[in-house]
Parts: sequence; C-alpha cells; structure tokens
Amino acid sequence: MTVQLTAEQVLDEHSQASVLSVDFFDTLITRSVAQPTHVFAVMEQNLISSHGDSWRGFAVARVEAEQRARQLAEQVDDQRDVSLDEIVYQLAQQLVLSRSDSDMVMTLERETELQLVQAVPFGVEITELARARGMRVVVVSDNYMPATHLLQMAHRAGYSWITKADIFVSCEHGGMKHNGMLWPVVLSALNSLAGSILHVGDDARADGEVPKSLGIATHVRDTMRRSHRDMINTTPAVLPLSRIEAEYRNAMDETRWDVGEVIGGGLVAMIVAAQVLDAHFVLGKRSVAGVHFAARDGYLAHQVWNTLRSRGWELPVATYTAFSRSVVWRAWLSELTRENIGRFVGDDEVLTVSRLERRVGCALDSPLDREMPIDASVARDLVLDNTDIVLSATNSLRTRLLTYLRSHEVLMSGHHIVVDLGWTGSTIADLADLVSVESQNQSVIEGRLTGLYWDATPQRMRIAMHGFAMDEFGSTDDNVRLLGVIKLLEALVTAPHGSVVDYEDDGTPIFVETVPELQAYEAVMRQVGDAAVRGALAILDGTHPSGMTTADITKESIWAAIMQVGHSPRTDEIDLLSQVNHVTSIDHEGNGRPLIAVTPDEPAKVTLEDLPGMYDTLMHRHWMQGSLRALENNVDSRWIADEMYKLNPMTSPRWVP
Amino acid sequence: MTKIAVVMRTYERPVLLARAIASVQLQTFTDWELVVVNNGGQQAGVDAVVRTAMNATPSGSIRVIHLADRVGMEEASNRGLADSDSEFFVIHDDDDSWDARFLEVAIAALHGSPTAVAAVTGVTRIYETFRGGKVWPVSHEDFPLSQGRLTYRGMIGGNTFPPIAALFRRSVLNTVGNFDSSLPVLGDWEFNLRAVAAGDFVFIPERLAHYHTRTAESDTASGNSITIGEDLHRNIKLQLQDRWLKEPAVNGVNKGALSIAAAAEALTGELQINTPIVHVDIEHIANRTAEIIKLQRLSRRIARSVRHPGHGIRAIGRAVRRTIGK
Repeated sequence: MTVQLTAEQVLDEHSQASVLSVDFFDTLITRSVAQPTHVFAVMEQNLISSHGDSWRGFAVARVEAEQRARQLAEQVDDQRDVSLDEIVYQLAQQLVLSRSDSDMVMTLERETELQLVQAVPFGVEITELARARGMRVVVVSDNYMPATHLLQMAHRAGYSWITKADIFVSCEHGGMKHNGMLWPVVLSALNSLAGSILHVGDDARADGEVPKSLGIATHVRDTMRRSHRDMINTTPAVLPLSRIEAEYRNAMDETRWDVGEVIGGGLVAMIVAAQVLDAHFVLGKRSVAGVHFAARDGYLAHQVWNTLRSRGWELPVATYTAFSRSVVWRAWLSELTRENIGRFVGDDEVLTVSRLERRVGCALDSPLDREMPIDASVARDLVLDNTDIVLSATNSLRTRLLTYLRSHEVLMSGHHIVVDLGWTGSTIADLADLVSVESQNQSVIEGRLTGLYWDATPQRMRIAMHGFAMDEFGSTDDNVRLLGVIKLLEALVTAPHGSVVDYEDDGTPIFVETVPELQAYEAVMRQVGDAAVRGALAILDGTHPSGMTTADITKESIWAAIMQVGHSPRTDEIDLLSQVNHVTSIDHEGNGRPLIAVTPDEPAKVTLEDLPGMYDTLMHRHWMQGSLRALENNVDSRWIADEMYKLNPMTSPRWVP
Repeated sequence: MTKIAVVMRTYERPVLLARAIASVQLQTFTDWELVVVNNGGQQAGVDAVVRTAMNATPSGSIRVIHLADRVGMEEASNRGLADSDSEFFVIHDDDDSWDARFLEVAIAALHGSPTAVAAVTGVTRIYETFRGGKVWPVSHEDFPLSQGRLTYRGMIGGNTFPPIAALFRRSVLNTVGNFDSSLPVLGDWEFNLRAVAAGDFVFIPERLAHYHTRTAESDTASGNSITIGEDLHRNIKLQLQDRWLKEPAVNGVNKGALSIAAAAEALTGELQINTPIVHVDIEHIANRTAEIIKLQRLSRRIARSVRHPGHGIRAIGRAVRRTIGK
C-alpha cells in the first residue's frame, strides 16, 4: 500500500515554487471510463447506433491509426507530437472514410471527450491550493488535441479559471514533455526559471525524470492509471466493466486501491449477476420445477438470489446443490478398465495407499505399507486388483448421492435448471443422466452455464445447455483463451468450503478442506466474494454507483469482462492472485498447483524445445494468461512470453479482434 | 407462416447435429422454423438429440422429417423445403454452425435489397478433428469470398461458398425451381447459378457463417462430403459442364464453355486468394507436448528405479505380466 502525499504536503515540500505546472489527462481531468482508449469504444457504440454495423471495430482502428500517425511523424521529425488531424487522416485511409465521415469522426471524438470528462479530486485540490497561495497555475500536456479543446474540457470539468494562455500542449509547439522539448517553450512563455516551477503529473518519465533533469521540481502521482489495461483492447463490450473500474478508481481513497475489491466488484459481480439473470430469464420462458445453483461455482449467485427474494423479488426457492466431477463420475461407475481408471490416478501423481483409499471410498486389499509413496502405475494396478470392492463402494456412493439429490428435490418431476460456470458440461451431463434414469425420465436437467468451449459439443446430445458469455461457436482463438482462464474463474467464483467428495448415509455432503484453499479464501477470495455479492445486487436492483444496470449484462459484456481481467490482467491483479493455489485432484487433497505458474529458476536455461510442453502445462494446470503475463513482467523470463506469443498468437495480450 | 425455414439435412452424426441445432437456437433473430431432415438414418438417435435440444430455452420450433431410405442431399433439401412454409429459407448442414447474429444480419440485408434473391455472409472455415465422439479444433481461416464471387461470372467456374453462408428468398424457387435431386454433390452450386441468374446475391463481409471441415485424422463417418469425396466432386463438376455444353447458347454464350474457361482461369486465382490468415497447429503442439511428457516420465521412472531398485524390479515384473497377458 502506497501512502500518497496530500495536495498540501506536495506544495509544502516545494515551497520555493512560484509556478505550478500540471499535466492534463489523468492529473487534472479523467474520464468516466477505465482507460483513455475506452473513449473510442464509446464513440464506436454511438457510431453503430447512429450509422450502422459498418462502424464495428472502429475503436481498435482508432488506436491503430494513432500508432501509425506517430510512427510516420517520427520518421519526419521525432521531436514533435501528432495532431488529431493526422490521426484522423490515418483512420480515413484505413476505413476508407469520406471527407464528411472524417469530419464527423473528429467532431464526435471532441464531443465524446467532453461528455465523459471528470475532474480529478487531487487536481482540483492542488490547483485551488496553489492559486490560494498566489502561484501561477499552468497546464502542460503531451496530447494531440488543440489547446482550445483542452480548455473546453477543463471548463466542463469545473476548472473555470483556466484560460487558453494557461495551456501548453505538445501538438501545438513542436515538442513534447516526453523528450524535454516542450519545457523551453513553457519557460519562455512564463518568463520563469526552471527552479521556480513545480510540475505534477502521472507519467514517470514525461512528468518525472525529464523535467527533473532540466531542474524542474516534480511530483509524480499515477493513481488515475490504476485502472488502465492494455490499450488495444477497446470495444463497446468492455464499457460496463470499464465504468465499474473507473468508479472504483474515483471512489477509492488514494491510499487504498484494493485489488481484491475491484476484481470482486467488477468481473465477479458481473458474472454473478449474469448467473442470476440467466436463471431468471429461463423462469420467464418455461415452467421450471427447480432452480439449482451448483456448489461451488454457484455459491455467490445463490446468496444473491436469496437476498433478492428477501427484498421482495418474485423468485422461487433455489437450492445450493453440491456435486462434483469426481463424485458424479464415481457414482456412475459400473466397470473398471485400464482406460477409465486413469481418472482415479493422474499420470504424474505419487500417492499413498491410504490416500488412494480415500479416493475410491473404500479400504483396499493391499500388502503395501499404507503410507509408502506409490507411483501412478502401482496405484492403478492396486485399484484394478480391488475391482469388486471399488465397484461396491461406488455403488454405495451412488445411493448416497441420490439420497442427497432427492433431498434437494432434483429428482422431482419436471424441468430443472442447474446454474454453474461451465466449461465442458460433462459433469452436469453425467448428473442429468443419473437423474434421468433414477426419475424414469420424469426429471429433466438443463445446464445454464457461464461459458462453454469446444469440448462441450458432445454433451449437447445428452443435455440442453446454454453458455451465457461464450459457447463453442466462438472462434478457435476465443476457445483457447477461455480454456486458459478457466482456473482463474473457478478460483474467483468459489465458496468458503471445499469441494464435495462424498455424502453421509443421510445425504449430507462431505466437503474436503485443504489448507491452500482455506488460506487463499481467507487471504483473497472472501473479500472478492463479498464485493461480488454487493456489486451484483447493486447491478440487479439498479443502484450501482457506475450507473450499470441489468441491460448492461450481455453475452458480449460478460465475455469482455472475462477477457479484460482474465486475458489482460494488471500487474497488481497478478501479484494478488499469485498467492492462490488450485486444487484439482479427484480427492481435492494435497497442495494443488499455483494459479500462476512459478517462473523458472533459470529462465535462460529454458530452450525453445521446452516451450510446447510449457504451453500445455500453463494451459491445463494454471491460469495460462496470468502466468504468461507474469513471465512477461520479469526481465529475465520475458523472452519466454515473447516466444510463446509468436508460437501461439492468441495468447498475446490483445483479445479484441 | 414463419419468416425463415432452416432446413437441416442429417445422417448419423448426432454429436454434430446437436451442435448444429444449438447454433440455430442461439440466433438473435427468433422467427424461424427448423426442419431436420433425417436422411434415412436411425430415428431414435435424431429424436433424442432433438428432444434434448428442445429442452433448452425454446426459440422457434423444431420438426423432424424421417426419410425411410437415404436419398441424395439435394432431394433431402427439397423434402425439407416442401414440408415448410416461409418467406425465406436456408440450408444448414448438420456439421456447420452460425454466429448468433447470422439470421438477423442476413435478413436485414435482404430487407434492404428488395430485388436480391439471396444474402451471403462472410465465412470462417474451421478445421476440426472428430474422433471418438469428440470435436477438437485444429485451425481456422478466412474463407475467400467477395461480392465478385457472388455474381454469375464469379460463380460459373466453381462453387464459391458453402450453403451455410446463404439466406434465400423462397420466391426464387418459383422462378428457378428446386435443387436438382439427380446430383449427389454440388447441387448447391448448380442451384446458385440458376438463382443468381434470377436476381442478385448480396454480400455481407462480416464472417457470420462457420464452415466446419474435418481433418484427415477424423473418424470417417464425420467427414465432409467435399473432403471425403473429392473425386466425386470433380466428376460431377465435369458432368455438369458437359450438360451445360449441350444447352443452347444465351446471347451467344454457352454456359458450359463459360464454366470451363472460368474454372481454368480461377485455378491460378484460387492459389493466390486461398491463403490462410490464421493457422494455429494446436494438434501439433498437443502431440509434441505428449511426446515430451512421455520422455520426462520415462526418465523419472528410470531415475526412480536406480534410486529404489525394488520398485524398478516390480515395475518390470508388472510390464512383463501385462505383455504376456497374465
């Protein structure tokens, strides 16, 4: 946690200064979206709504046009900044815009900036204090907008005292703060010496190092950048999450940017709201015998559902139903073969007989020491040698599971929906088969899942399923991206208890507790969950401070939120989540694997030959994208991430097509 | 009368059929009727898939026509069309899929072009491996398509788009007739040529149709007609061109001669156009990973055997017993 100086402390520290120079964007003003390029997403939304689908992809094109304009300008004169005209010219080339369309885009950009502008509280405070102390206050900005436009924005944000003469913007003076060439212009215009100026801004180099090297006192304050992610990922679908994150950025005291709260109140709240809305949607479409939120992925949504009922929403009672891949699979088991026994024991696992017994749910006949380590091959042989005993145990488990399902009215005649995260639908399909047989086809289950990926296709023969944010009809790239973030989402949308591994004879579920999961819950997930429940309730009842409502919970916005956090996480999110382990073994014992893969001890010794294996490991055992960005953030291992991006382009931070 | 009839021909591919139906059910435009034509396959399997699909939140209606004997693809389409009534129709093969906005965008395009007889969207070609009832993506690429390829001149040399990409006005059937039931393959091409002579095809560049193609490693039963029957396609194309050569010339131009010339001309162009935009060889990565893991596992086992000879001897004993079947 960084302790920020107050505006008064900053001025007191530099009491020799007679001029306060302030950066404009993200120091004096900000926008009601999380990052600058999301302004273009707002524009795209307006363009599509007013002029049709041909404007899809505008926001990304606008970012790319600016990049191209800068590259071209650098080739001619690397000291000067580009102007909005140059950017729009590049945009017009790419999108084949007419002159009137170009003019319209330029006007719209200015209008949109004015529409979204907000004053930064610290900016208001420090400029007011400085003026009260008799200091001259000027704005010094690296930007492509003309001073007249910045003036309009400043006035719109409430800085009515600013005049055009107070604004120095790079695109009008042939030099930038970034390269130091704008400062001589400022000093000359003010007729001041560098030592009399205090400059405050958010860019470590342009507002810190460079002016400092010229003798200007500086104070860098980058708190308004906390909500920034990769700039290229901008499309209207990101705006709901963007607005929530902007709200957090503005509302949180500058000494308290709480990453867990932001993830919970942002991405997770949106997912939970989507789970509830989707179940509510089905209720409006058909007669439903039961709504069941699956443990553990439906825990938060179930809490929200119950709270809404207590607030008078007309919702039926919904159950929180505990089943897991391992119990459903074991309950269905009618024979043991070399093929299916692999699900009891993973290829690379080293177990003990006693742990194996807990997995299969019975005592095994074995001459081996119960605590002696045995490899997968020995463990599998041992299970095969005990086939009759194991099948008797699984049959008994089936009876206990059905007792539980009966107590939760899942076997009641009619159409039931089960709300879960996803992803292949195989567990719910297995459950549906079991329920169908037991109820003699009287009980039918429909899976309402947050996401489905390719492997879900065969399950459609067995169960009706709907993937809210994603289904297997998405692109191959998106399917891979979804696969990469599954571990993250399962970790985020979880419950305070472990996974169910068995049931008592009366059907009471037995949840296993593992130390890593409990620790992660207490350290991170409890807070994430609490924030998610609060956020989802606010979205659903229309009181969210960002103005977000149920209309903003769409397939596209949920997918975008998943990608924004899951595919292009910020460094602080990676840091927070690096303490989380994911326990996936059939018995949910052991320490599991870290959500973010540990960076190799000696990255230089990794070879290109190792990368395919590493890719597979990251994909199947960790949060792939979080792990790759962690590799990228480390100077020594960055090359591994870069090579991985070349090998698998869809893993690079850009996810907007 | 529903707005759109979606005719889906299927034969013994329940997994793919389930996916195809879901892709129709997910459409944002909901005034459709899906007619599944079970082309002589087992009834129970199709009924089960449709029953399961109908348990999903209903949108539009689904009917099944069971044909007692297997007929040609085009005859199956004609049966489905004859059994439905709508303003527009589309042939949705049971292995293909749509983006959820396909119908919405395509119908809007036809509403915006009253004289057009069809709207065709951009296509993404998806290569997938189908093995043991599971589908695995391998790669995808942009299918080369443009407004120029949707004109009579653009289509005469060869089939330029798969059926999944096109929404037709049903009125075109009154003008040009149904699909040619005598054709085992390429019936869509032959039909498209007649249709485009009756009215324009509108091109929508957005890639909203997914044309799925199974790789050579896939189970045979799941194969695309085009990938498992390339010789047949070539032969039927030649037969069609022969048929057209015998037709009288229109305005001095013979359809068969034009097709042959255009096909030859297109051959070079195809090679230039048909460059994959994205090709991620996931299967190669997976295979390579499996090899590496296998090697790592073997070296770990050898190391363990060296450290604990008893384990090694027992493991060898087990392997021998497995090999000799005891």
